Amino acid sequence: MKVSPWILLAGLLALAFTLATKLAATADNWSGRSKPENVFEMLLGDGRRLFANESFTMADVYFHSGYYPSMFDQNAKEQREIIAASHGHKETEEEEKKEDFFGQPHDWIDAFGRNFRITRHTHLAAHQEREILPWLRLAADLDPQKIETYTVGAYFMREHLGRPNEAEAFLREGLRHNPGNSEILFELGRIYRENRHDLNRARNVWEYGVKSYLSLSPDLQKENKLVYEELVMNLARLEDEAGNYAAAIKWFEKGKVVSPAPDAIQKQIDDIEKKLAGAKPVAAPK
Amino acid sequence: MTVILQTQKLRVEYRNRDFRQANKVALLGLDLEVRAGEVFGFLGPNGAGKTTTMNVLLGFIPPTSGSASLFGIDVRQPIARQRIGYLPELTYYYKFLTAEELLRFYAKIFGLSRSETDRRIADLLKLVELEHASKRPIKSYSKGMQQRVGIAQSLINNPDLLILDEPTSGLDPLGRMKVREIIQRLKDEGKTVFFSSHELGEVEAICDHVAIVHQGELKAMGTVAEISAGHPNLEQAFLKVVGYQNAAAS
Amino acid sequence: MNKIFALAGVVIKELYRRKDFYVLFILTALLTFAAGSANFFHDAKIVRYLKDICLLLIWVSALLVAILTAARQIPAEREARTIFPLLAKPVSRAQLIVGKFLGCWLATGLALFVFYLFFAVITGSREQIWPVGVYLEAAWMQWVMLAIVIGMVLLGSIYFAAPSSTTTIAFIVVVGILFVGSHLNTIALQQGEPVQSILAFLYFTIPHLEWYDLRDFVVYDMGMAPVGAVALATLYAAAWTGIFLLLTWLGFRRKNLTT
Repeated sequence: MKVSPWILLAGLLALAFTLATKLAATADNWSGRSKPENVFEMLLGDGRRLFANESFTMADVYFHSGYYPSMFDQNAKEQREIIAASHGHKETEEEEKKEDFFGQPHDWIDAFGRNFRITRHTHLAAHQEREILPWLRLAADLDPQKIETYTVGAYFMREHLGRPNEAEAFLREGLRHNPGNSEILFELGRIYRENRHDLNRARNVWEYGVKSYLSLSPDLQKENKLVYEELVMNLARLEDEAGNYAAAIKWFEKGKVVSPAPDAIQKQIDDIEKKLAGAKPVAAPK
Repeated sequence: MTVILQTQKLRVEYRNRDFRQANKVALLGLDLEVRAGEVFGFLGPNGAGKTTTMNVLLGFIPPTSGSASLFGIDVRQPIARQRIGYLPELTYYYKFLTAEELLRFYAKIFGLSRSETDRRIADLLKLVELEHASKRPIKSYSKGMQQRVGIAQSLINNPDLLILDEPTSGLDPLGRMKVREIIQRLKDEGKTVFFSSHELGEVEAICDHVAIVHQGELKAMGTVAEISAGHPNLEQAFLKVVGYQNAAAS
Repeated sequence: MNKIFALAGVVIKELYRRKDFYVLFILTALLTFAAGSANFFHDAKIVRYLKDICLLLIWVSALLVAILTAARQIPAEREARTIFPLLAKPVSRAQLIVGKFLGCWLATGLALFVFYLFFAVITGSREQIWPVGVYLEAAWMQWVMLAIVIGMVLLGSIYFAAPSSTTTIAFIVVVGILFVGSHLNTIALQQGEPVQSILAFLYFTIPHLEWYDLRDFVVYDMGMAPVGAVALATLYAAAWTGIFLLLTWLGFRRKNLTT
């Protein structure tokens, strides 16, 4: 029997497609792995996390417009956490700008080579900070569990670029990957408080942050003491601003326990107590 | 007549890569003279030293000792090759160029003017019957067409001396005829042709002078008549010179 | 000079008749467009990452064009035996080397021009600024560096028969110098003897290709590098190119081409 090769081809294609529809569902069950979220996860698997730090560092390189120590430069190790350490703290930023990781040239090769390197320590400003965002986006895709990516990205979008909506969306993405993370909740609360002036939502988010922190193991609590301090101090100031002096004192008292400057906090408590003595009580928040 | 190609006590040794073995001697003090206007056949069995001699004359390998000159200039000087044309046994040219581009490139090497180049290219493409394919890349040519490009390039500078290495080997009958025609034409124009060949009949038909080398040494040199004297033809004389016993017996 | 330009012309023709350059250009363009189409937090003004990626692709592509073109010149002439009809003409081996070098360098320059034009159009369309001087200086420095690379590769091609070996070794050496060339002295200090002395020796004797990378100046809008320093670097590159070409000639001048 002579069969046309075209008919044979059509038959084989039909068979392949039919089997594909049947096997696709079965193959999903065979694989114990979850479906990849993005192309990096698909291509690199968990190995993508190795590149996330580099991507985060690239954001820092961009923030310093290329003035950045290489892994061979002296004091490189100390210098490489600049963006994470100094963002948002004007004094630290100014101090950092004075540091010079290049030092004196070692020889004529080093001295001449500096003509072709960026040797001016600057920080991005005037909305140019947007240039760091692609690297933070990439870092988040590469390692969704890297918390600083979300907090740093949200900080720049909120504080420097006037884009609180995008900052909130980025933080919420971070929360999806890291449910209940206190640092992300703290940044989220700042958006509600500072940009939206929505004290109730800020309070809710920060209180949830405190609750999450307290549910951590003692070791992790020790590690994250700073964010706890930030949360309680900001909650205290928020309540003070809202006129909920009793609640404010409660949060200040908690802050006093962990703060390195309890006397200063005690002074604030004293001030509120004075206000409380002289003012009519306000209904406590729900 | 002026001597335009000369070798004196030319010796070439190839260094053996295995230091325990002696160097291979390809030429053993070769003395050769080719005069202006001659068609000179350079004969010898395989491995006799013909190609080595040509390689020295063209500057591809340096002589171990002795000297070689073209038009009285040491072959190590590039200018010695200004007035020669060379056709290798097998043609290899830049396949991404067209025949016209290849000829223009070589004309530029010889420092020809633009008008002279245009005129020569037109004449040569006509001579080798490649006018129709002159704008096509050489990679699209048949073997015979590539061989004809080779002939054209060897004549681009209107050479006074043409060095041909086995010019008819690998050619179809038409190609062979074309090469013979060209040699004859150059001879008529008073040019000198130096060529190696295994085709003794061909050599007999077109050469004035012949040299026979064997095992790196010159065994005989003279006119075709002088070499063939006492033998039925040049082939028999050649076989005797290279020590082929049956020929000597006949 | 006519002979050298004639030889160079053939190399340039080879470049634009081969597919290497077109493949690299299309790949660069596709990757740049793909990167450019990414949406980062709905901000269309973000441009530096795009400049960075595009310049990196240009660097890799130009390096590939230069190394691949230079590595095959002399071995291909020998393998295809085109060197015989060529050297049977009044061309010296020195002229052959200089002609090949010039051809590779001009061909690479042509490729660089196309790449930088593409870069200028892409970034200009986003930023609406045209810092032509900065681009020209960066392209010039890259081109000058490629002259050293081409010289180095031509030297390698005399000793390594296969162009693939020359290409691989050259690529490793060039990328190695670009990454750690300026840090060899620092690395040396962390090593014991004799590695320390070897690294220190290398630091002072290798061609410092990393000087020629002005991508940061372009990406971070830092203006032009000092013109005097660029002129000195050009002189340094000319010296190194001369060294490599001289070494190539010394290795090639008496080379038996028939084996």
